Amino acid sequence: MEIAEYKIKLPVFEGPFDLLFHLIKKAELDIWSVSIAEITAQYLDYLRAMEELNLDIASEFLVMAATLLRLKSKMLLPRTPLSNADEEEEELFEINTAEELFLRLEEYRQFKEIGHYLKEREQEQQKIYLRSTGGQKVMVLTRQESVYTIWEGAHHLSDIMNRFTEIARKEEYMPVFQAVEDFMLTDKTAYILDSLNRSKQVMPMRSFVRKEGLWEVIITFVALLEMARQRIVMLLQDSSFSTIYVTLLEVSPDKEKEIAEKQTKASN
Amino acid sequence: MLKNRQKQVIEALLFLSEEPVSTERIAEVLAIAKEESEQLMKELIADFTSEERGIMIFPVAGGYQMGTLPALAEDLEKAFTEEVSSNLSTAALEVMAIVAYKQPVTRIEIESIRGVRSEYVIDNLLKRKLIRVSGRKEGPGRPLLYCTTVDFLQYFGLKDLEDLPVLEETNVDEYSSQEVEKSKDISH
Repeated sequence: MEIAEYKIKLPVFEGPFDLLFHLIKKAELDIWSVSIAEITAQYLDYLRAMEELNLDIASEFLVMAATLLRLKSKMLLPRTPLSNADEEEEELFEINTAEELFLRLEEYRQFKEIGHYLKEREQEQQKIYLRSTGGQKVMVLTRQESVYTIWEGAHHLSDIMNRFTEIARKEEYMPVFQAVEDFMLTDKTAYILDSLNRSKQVMPMRSFVRKEGLWEVIITFVALLEMARQRIVMLLQDSSFSTIYVTLLEVSPDKEKEIAEKQTKASN
Repeated sequence: MLKNRQKQVIEALLFLSEEPVSTERIAEVLAIAKEESEQLMKELIADFTSEERGIMIFPVAGGYQMGTLPALAEDLEKAFTEEVSSNLSTAALEVMAIVAYKQPVTRIEIESIRGVRSEYVIDNLLKRKLIRVSGRKEGPGRPLLYCTTVDFLQYFGLKDLEDLPVLEETNVDEYSSQEVEKSKDISH
């Protein structure tokens, strides 16, 4: 026997405010002329319907239900002169009076409307096609300050840092980082290891820098740091900013094999 | 430089650029006053309109950009396959609206207006570069502050933030008097 399938369509709401707003609109009421008792009943009805359909009810909806019930009970009970401050604490909604609730609803309604407005703008704007070079810029408008070029002509790291902080201090600054060059750290590590194995001597860091440019220096340095961390090499330096010397650490044949395997794995 | 030639330069600049071009930038290129470049831009826009071209020049994100007429979208889509860019969800549009008006704003502030957790939506908008982190709010936890980007203006075709509709003022006094009446109703 086939089980009859019930198909009840419940609208999806963005949150408790969205649901409340929908209930008020359905009752064709103005936000300011809704009674808490009525709206609470309707709100709970909706949650019950969700429950019957075995839908997950997000915790926010339950918090709102509790908030509504508390507001309702407050209105029914005579006011006590002593108010317990701890009782007023609420996580997501700090709503303690009906007035606050309606103010919050009204605020939400405005942003919901702006959301609709933005949707229209989005749709309209999507009908306009702009020129696109498919990511390959044929010509880039020269800008006075560009983050793309902050390392051009810089000789020291401090040059770049100074330029960077100058730009970053400005309000309109938006960081855009692009990989300038593809590089493989593993290639560099292999090269350093190979050179050291062949020379069997202590070598200065400079001897591993094969190309011009800051990036090459950075890659070499990072590769050496990583190798030192893995106890493949030892780095020696007399004092700050003096030449860094690199020497192979005593490596057992087993360990060497392991490293070689790692290298091939990484480059595959 | 002849005026026609200047307009040609502006047209070519807009054609080449993938981003909005400001009149300041044009003034710089043509070595003329900003007011003059604005005047030339107006004339160029009028030229495009009167000639009923398929391309238009429109103000957006503090500058001007060239694009196809919206009315042509249907026909153009027959010739080109569009890169699928999913539209923003209702939740994303709500968060976008809140950030646009309340910026700089924290996640908690956004969530308290919407009444729901919005972390995921905020992350998505950050990824789409429609909002950005503008700093941290002083106070407990120093939460991140979010604000809109130039991409936001472009995405929604806004000249600037002033281009957004004005928020209505909420009349609290009107409400309070009504509420007094209502609470009486309930208690009886």
